[in-house]
Amino acid sequence: MVGVSVALFFYLGLDVVLHGYVLGSDLTSITNTLYGNVEEFIEPILIDTLLLQVHIDLFMSLFSIMIIASIYIRLYSDKRVTKWLVHTLFILGLLAPLFLIVAYFTSIPFVYVWLMCFSLGHFLGMGLSLLIIKKLLFK
Amino acid sequence: MKHLKLYHIPIAYMLVYVVAILATGMWLFLLSQGLGSSDIVQTLTQIATLPEPKSIHNFIEVATPHMFAMGTLIFVVAHFMLFSTKFSQKFSLIVSLLLFVVALLNISAYLFISLGVVVSGWIKLLSLGLFVLLFLLLLCMVAFSL
Repeated sequence: MVGVSVALFFYLGLDVVLHGYVLGSDLTSITNTLYGNVEEFIEPILIDTLLLQVHIDLFMSLFSIMIIASIYIRLYSDKRVTKWLVHTLFILGLLAPLFLIVAYFTSIPFVYVWLMCFSLGHFLGMGLSLLIIKKLLFK
Repeated sequence: MKHLKLYHIPIAYMLVYVVAILATGMWLFLLSQGLGSSDIVQTLTQIATLPEPKSIHNFIEVATPHMFAMGTLIFVVAHFMLFSTKFSQKFSLIVSLLLFVVALLNISAYLFISLGVVVSGWIKLLSLGLFVLLFLLLLCMVAFSL
């Protein structure tokens, strides 16, 4: 269980970096990717490409969050906060890809919502992985 | 389901995630068939009569990740039926096995089209429809077992 938690911790960290490369690492580059930029001759990303990314993100999120949540529940089932942490993790993991699609079809405020859900979801996942590792290694 | 309590949460969210994956998957397929430039009925008619040509390279590019992803996803969803007390194990087994067979047919349907074994795309539409319906049935069974 320590091995899979360490692997998922690094997966979540690298997924943030990967999304930074694919969509942009700051707000200007993200909006350029999603909506294009006439002055800089940048075309907006194709819906096919974005949808494929969302499709893959949903699949990867499902498995990574399922594994983290299952181990976390097994180790911390006596804590009251466990239920809410698991709910939050799943909701953020689901909302992030969906808001990316919404942001593509609407406007910049939804980019902020996507950014928030994506970052919070990933950091929460990494935090829970660390708690699992801590519990397993330093009982 | 017996003795699970907190584990109901991941299982319930898994059902929602799978529906979202199915929806985005169908949307992607329809887009690749020209949904962007025509309405949905026109796109479906086009798939049935003359689907977009695909090379073997395109087919393998799509089929390879789907073989892994669909197989794993069906396995994970179906294994929760082992804990069900509301549906018989035999019925769950039949639905799961049928789903595996239809998923394989759905993935390989475009191979038949690419090789020219079938000219129309009815086989792809039929297998896709059956796959989605069977998967939704399995998801409902898991949901009722919670």
